[in-house]
Amino acid sequence: MASASLTGARAAAPARVVRAFLDKYGLICLLLVMPVAFGIHDLRTEGDLSRLGNNLLDGLSNGSIWALVAIGYTLVYGIVELINFAHGDVFMIGSFTAAGFFGTIGLTAATGVPGLIAGLLLTLLVAMLASGSLNLMIERVAYRPLRGAPRLAPLVAAVGFSFILQNVGLLWRGGSQQGIVDLINSQKELVMIAGVSVTHGDTLAIAVTIPLVLAMTLFISRTRLGKAMRATAQDPDAARLMGINVDTTISATFLIGGMLAGAAGLTYALYQTTVWYFQGFTAGLIAFTAAVMGGIGNIRGAVLGGLIIGVIQQISDNRIGSQWTPAIVFAFLVLIMVFKPSGLLGEETREAG
Amino acid sequence: MLSAVGIAACGDDDDDAGSDATTGATAGGELTIYSSLPLQGGLRTQSAAMVNGIRLALKEADNKAGNFTIKYESLDDSTAQAGNWTPEAVSANARRAAQDDSTAVFIGEFNSGASAVSIPILSDAKVPQLSPANTAVGLTSDEPGAEPGEPAKYYPSGFRNFVRIVPKDTIQGAALATVMKEDGCTKVVLANDKEVYGAGLARNVVAAAEAQDLEVLFNEGIDPRAANYRALASRARGQDADCFVFAGTTPNNAVQIFKDFGAALPEAKLYGPDGVSDSAFADEGEGGIPAAIASRTKITVATLAPASYPPEGREFFRQYAEEYEERQPDPYAIYGYEAMRLALDAIERSETGEREDIVKALFDTEDRTSVLGTYSIDDNGDTTLTDYGVYTIDGGELKFDQTVTAET
Amino acid sequence: MTGDAAAPRRAPAPVRGPRTRPRAPKLPRRARVGLAAAALLGGAILPLFLASGGGLIEDATLALAYVVMALGLNIIVGFAGLLDLGYVAFFAIGAYTMGYFGSLFHINVNGGEGIHVLVSGVAAELPGIHLNFLLIVVLAIIATTIAGMLIGLPTLRLRGDYIAIVTLAFGEIVGRIAINGDEITGFGTKLTNGRQGITPVDKIDLPFLDPFTALNLRPWYWVAFVMVLLVLFVNFRLRDSRLGRAWIALREDEVAAVSMGVPAVKTKLLAYGTGAAFGGISGAFLGSYLNTVNADQFQFSFSIFILAMVILGGLGSIWGVVVGAIALSFINNYLIPDVLNNVPARIGLDFDLTQLSFGIFGFLLVIMMVLRPEGLIPERRRQLELQEGIEDLAVDGDDVQPAVRP
Repeated sequence: MASASLTGARAAAPARVVRAFLDKYGLICLLLVMPVAFGIHDLRTEGDLSRLGNNLLDGLSNGSIWALVAIGYTLVYGIVELINFAHGDVFMIGSFTAAGFFGTIGLTAATGVPGLIAGLLLTLLVAMLASGSLNLMIERVAYRPLRGAPRLAPLVAAVGFSFILQNVGLLWRGGSQQGIVDLINSQKELVMIAGVSVTHGDTLAIAVTIPLVLAMTLFISRTRLGKAMRATAQDPDAARLMGINVDTTISATFLIGGMLAGAAGLTYALYQTTVWYFQGFTAGLIAFTAAVMGGIGNIRGAVLGGLIIGVIQQISDNRIGSQWTPAIVFAFLVLIMVFKPSGLLGEETREAG
Repeated sequence: MLSAVGIAACGDDDDDAGSDATTGATAGGELTIYSSLPLQGGLRTQSAAMVNGIRLALKEADNKAGNFTIKYESLDDSTAQAGNWTPEAVSANARRAAQDDSTAVFIGEFNSGASAVSIPILSDAKVPQLSPANTAVGLTSDEPGAEPGEPAKYYPSGFRNFVRIVPKDTIQGAALATVMKEDGCTKVVLANDKEVYGAGLARNVVAAAEAQDLEVLFNEGIDPRAANYRALASRARGQDADCFVFAGTTPNNAVQIFKDFGAALPEAKLYGPDGVSDSAFADEGEGGIPAAIASRTKITVATLAPASYPPEGREFFRQYAEEYEERQPDPYAIYGYEAMRLALDAIERSETGEREDIVKALFDTEDRTSVLGTYSIDDNGDTTLTDYGVYTIDGGELKFDQTVTAET
Repeated sequence: MTGDAAAPRRAPAPVRGPRTRPRAPKLPRRARVGLAAAALLGGAILPLFLASGGGLIEDATLALAYVVMALGLNIIVGFAGLLDLGYVAFFAIGAYTMGYFGSLFHINVNGGEGIHVLVSGVAAELPGIHLNFLLIVVLAIIATTIAGMLIGLPTLRLRGDYIAIVTLAFGEIVGRIAINGDEITGFGTKLTNGRQGITPVDKIDLPFLDPFTALNLRPWYWVAFVMVLLVLFVNFRLRDSRLGRAWIALREDEVAAVSMGVPAVKTKLLAYGTGAAFGGISGAFLGSYLNTVNADQFQFSFSIFILAMVILGGLGSIWGVVVGAIALSFINNYLIPDVLNNVPARIGLDFDLTQLSFGIFGFLLVIMMVLRPEGLIPERRRQLELQEGIEDLAVDGDDVQPAVRP
């Protein structure tokens, strides 16, 4: 009898092991399919991995911009469960502010390194303030009066604000993509590592993102306001009973999300050296996808999601065809939603049906 | 309301509204010219330039064409929600022109896909249509590049009412390939914006380039909303491309793609069509490509060398600069200007001002001297122009370099 | 500053606290029936007062087509509570059905002779597949119902906004396939015609009537009007049926509904299928009416446009959605381009309002939401919930993790 049950257990074991494995690593396997397949392909046809390495690096630097935007999405969603459609456009306004401010303080491609760094730090501050206060204003004007309204009402208001901001961008810089001054010589190679060319732009994007993400993580986990944000996200009523000013906390969340979008806006402007009134819409959709991919409400998840989407985009642009890239990104999103709806790092969030 | 009921009373007679309507226009009356262009969204700048050109031509002519007083009305074929042309708006504009008794000419559309919607409506009503920007082959002819069934399917009643003043894609494609051949290109990469204009032009460049023994490495449709094209550009570098062509328009991310390919292919020569021949592309100060890349870029435009402009053309440049405070008019302004001039000319030559006579006058256009060069309109409604101006960029402005005759 | 704002809302559930708004007095049944009948009668005879090819009848016909779509989306979002952000996919599929079976798209089929089923006039002579419009509508219903269920399947396990994301993704994927479909070939034909579009499309051809023309829009209007009547009828019957109650039960509380024996999978799939079918009907109609099926029509912003109609009118409220769809459609196609655009010129300003139209549209959305977030004609049941039951929704918040984590 004992042996019978043992064999029974043994028979069931492989299936269970497979399922457990898939639950845990299935998503990661899915995400690794493309890089690994193309890596093998490269090794067989070209003999080295430099092409894949370049794809990955480009992906990480592009993705780190998406990551900063995605954090704003995820913070706001975590706390008020609103898909803030205007967030991408706040990012766009941040980019425009930064691009305009370069001229105001007289930064040109010829500015020396110390002046450039000082100027860029100042621009960073201005862009963050502009985007942050804009996001704060939108929350006060459009979302706060709608708390308690049907859940979709703020969504429509957000769409409305997104249109308004896009129109502002259109009036500001016209309908076409506009090239702006290439302050950091973005596409110039800084160093070549094993066939992978690291450009100034790549370095900048990663150098801006890492400290900001670390600061955010510390802020959320250590500070009083961060704790208030977590408490409000978990249960606004209880948070209020505990003496947390929920309104202030929500405002702070929007402010912080907007500031990160502003930082992303500056990075985007320096990295791409092109700005466009519609860039926010595209970035918003991508960043939103990133936030969901990582597990919405989860800051590390948003960063991870942003980086992954950046890599998928670059590989797809390089190998499959750039016209299919958006479809591929969304196909990944669907697969992840179906097989691991909580995302890469997320757990079930508060549901309001 | 009364007039509405009046029309309602003869509701079923609308099929022959066209012939009815034109009887209202007697020699010396007032006629209306409509334009239908996307005034909202990404193509706004180009459309606005066209409207400027149209207005200037009308002002020059003192609102007159022969004995007729001309009224101009600019319609919008885009909507706020879409930010692009919509079939709804296009057909609304076409119907409006079709049902207005005083309509003489309909200038439009900007996008070939949109013209495919308005041509059948206007053809039914026999309204002369004149496009300043459509280049899709199939709108007028069944030559290579057209789809099966084109162009007959756009003219269900068989009445050909559509002419255009810009050469169709085949001509410019051949012109670009000829320039590249002269410049010593060997391995060419193309990117196109997947619009009717860009994709069609790219196909024709590929065909013409291969006919002239250039190797085409790839022709890739891009997503114009993408943030950048570095991965695509690095693919071109991996294949040792020495020439890059972008077939598309400035609002479809032309500046970014030139920057990315320019950086990835530091030695390559870069080419663009008239879709990027505006200051938003050429002038770094206005958000165009940086000077280092501009110096390697050549653009083909269906306009003449400024020295060989007819007198009224020179006048146009002077007036445009004065009126709109731009040194170099956008080529789309030139196309708009010439569209209006041809429309006025056709109305004058028609003598009666009736729609069918104007259509006939448009098709009868012969050896017309214009800013675009000397051209006739052939039986398909196409211009006979084959000469393209090749421009380089100098200090943010397009500078005439040479004339190239397309080898078709 | 925050104090006075928070004070009146402190009562039951502060953060999502309902805005207490006096309920609109309920009209007596007879008055409501009378009002509805008057509206329908007015709608039916409206074209007689409009120029047969003018801008107003054009806008009115479009508005009716959008009403059909909004009513379809209302089944998914309003009744069943499944937030669908990819409704444009069904518009696309319906329109492509029209394009496939009622145009020159498959020009080489049957050796260039074409296939013709119950069509007359010009279409009967042309190559390509040409089916009668009614048959195409049936095909569109079948195609979109299947597509709706397929898109619904992956969302069955999901709740709330995740559904929104998956449907959004599907909508984008369908849009991309429409744009890039000219690169996919098989069986001697392309999948779509990309941005060139399938043009022209057959005009509607109904038994006993002449084929419709592009210049007389009254028949088009009446076809759209009949579609709206049918869809309204189906909508009311569904809402009051067992299925309709099951949708609402699932929307209110899925766990409770399932434990009471509501089959969640079937019920949700039926919501997707039905809602999608309405989009398909309207899509097929618009394909013919607009005379083109162009990939550029199928953008994410269209999904949002239809969703905004539903929300503006009042989620789940049938008459509300009708009003919302008509209102937004007229704002987009008439008010902004035709009315507001002339205002600056009339008051003597040399200013082009088309530069601002995008923003005006957004501004109107924001204003309407801030002033009346529950929609123009809110569903009574939902209004009740808003005032009484809101705190119940957060009850299962005890065992969940904090939503914002480092």
